[in-house]
Amino acid sequence: MIQKKICVLGAAGVGKTSLIAQFVYSKFSEKYLSSMGVKIDRKIVQLESQQVNLMIWDIHGEEKFKKITSSYFRGASGVIMVADGTRPDTLSVAQNIFQRVEQDVGNIPSVWLLNKVDLEDQWCMSEGVVKQLNEKYVSVYQSSAKTGENVEQTFFNIAENMLNV
Amino acid sequence: MSERLHHSCHAMPEILAKRLTLNATQRFQPAWLQLTKGGSDILTVGGAWQHYFDVSPRLGTDVSEACEVLLGMLPLVDDFELSQIQLVDGQYTDVIALCDHDSDWLLFCDVSEETEKFQKYQQISNDLLLLQGQHQRTLNRYVGSEVVRRDAEGGLSIKAKGERRVISTLFTDIRGFTPFNESQDAQVVIETLNEYMTCMLDPILNQAGMIDKITGDGAMAVFGVLDSEHGCIDDAFVAGKQILKAVQTLNEQRQKQGLEQLGVGVGIASGEAVLGMLGTHHRRCFTAIGPHVNRAARLESNAPAGDILLDRDSYLALHQPIDCLPMSLNLKGIGDTCVYVWHHKKTNT
Ligand SMILES: Nc1nc2c(ncn2[C@@H]2O[C@H](COP(=O)(O)OP(=O)(O)OP(=O)(O)O)[C@@H](O)[C@H]2O)c(=O)[nH]1
Ligand SMILES: [Mg+2]
Repeated sequence: MIQKKICVLGAAGVGKTSLIAQFVYSKFSEKYLSSMGVKIDRKIVQLESQQVNLMIWDIHGEEKFKKITSSYFRGASGVIMVADGTRPDTLSVAQNIFQRVEQDVGNIPSVWLLNKVDLEDQWCMSEGVVKQLNEKYVSVYQSSAKTGENVEQTFFNIAENMLNV
Repeated sequence: MSERLHHSCHAMPEILAKRLTLNATQRFQPAWLQLTKGGSDILTVGGAWQHYFDVSPRLGTDVSEACEVLLGMLPLVDDFELSQIQLVDGQYTDVIALCDHDSDWLLFCDVSEETEKFQKYQQISNDLLLLQGQHQRTLNRYVGSEVVRRDAEGGLSIKAKGERRVISTLFTDIRGFTPFNESQDAQVVIETLNEYMTCMLDPILNQAGMIDKITGDGAMAVFGVLDSEHGCIDDAFVAGKQILKAVQTLNEQRQKQGLEQLGVGVGIASGEAVLGMLGTHHRRCFTAIGPHVNRAARLESNAPAGDILLDRDSYLALHQPIDCLPMSLNLKGIGDTCVYVWHHKKTNT
């Protein structure tokens, strides 16, 4: 079976671990346990044409004093870039990381998530920002690790895109 | 078994030993695999491999079978390090790849202990980050909506293009918040911050002040923009006094509850500023630019807890005489400045 490595990247606390937990184990927890280094999870997805074994790298959040080292990107076939829709500055953090990904591994498929869309009253992403993202990147979703909104779609979308490269 | 392990540790190839001592952090239980150069077949296995593999990696097989993290990275072409890979049992391992002349190496080191230690610090700082985001959003919305409301009511008579006007600017900030911040649970920090913030923001709004900016543990406000019956400096000074009084009341309550008490300092300066409204209807935001704004910020940073520092222009423009002490202060970036110190006395309340 074909295997593909995906990196899930973004600022601290945007919901990377939660999105993976929702996708792989159908679980969500309100409790925040900040990730260290990398945790690797696997899930096989059945696409129309074939099965793909996804190797999902849950990487620690990018912080001011703790940048993500680029060796984690090695061998990745796709990236899921996550921002927290209730904290606008996390989007520029994601864009900054993505630049480094492009420098190191070149042009690979990406899916962009504005996560925590269930927190309606705290939502801070204007329609203008969403439109700009849509113009720049092919796959942009507003997601929720809590309700599961667009979580499956995200991983299926990236799997399809990685196979079509 | 331990005999053999002991032996193989001593036999660690020099290239790996050098790499281990190069790292300042402590690394434990090293194990290594020697690989064919430019290929990825296992040539030898050494060190405490049981710590990382359930079964001994088989010689002659492709390393990707034993070591899945290397997916997409083989054969090795240059040196790299994958730090803090979490293994199934929750331990953390550094994986170091080294290319030598006639073979390649993979070195495994257990870094669980230092990783767990560091996790605690990271958790505190990230919890705070999330909570501060929430806190900031609530306050910003408050600031923004006030501007929009006054604007709609006609209470804001500012031209979008910018206008010169004499205003008073007030800075207020919690003293000693940073060390407090580091020693406490994030939730407690934010709740405390909210209590002190209320003490600072309510008096400003009550005196027709406009909150321009919320800093992490303080605020900047301007007086003389919203309509008021009093002069802008009088409003600012009364707001300052009320802030200190509210803080004192809060501190008395906290003392009774056995909680830590914090102080607040205030700086006020007045002068001509350019006022303007930026942004469109929904997200209109107000700005004030003038030399006295910086002066007010400097005064605030020099104000001890319980004091208001006024600049000369503010002092002279007050309609009510106040009991304060003139003194000369060297303000950073401004130089020697005549300032007036008003001290909040507990008997004042
Ligand atoms: N309401 C809501 N909360 C979420 C969502 N996703 C994550 N969270 C919460 O946000 C916090 C952080 O989530 P994590 O998944 O640990 O974030 P992370 O990006 O892995 O954080 P780091 O590992 O520190 O970089 C947790 O308290 C989650 O419960 C979401 O979609 N909606
Ligand atoms: Mg995480």
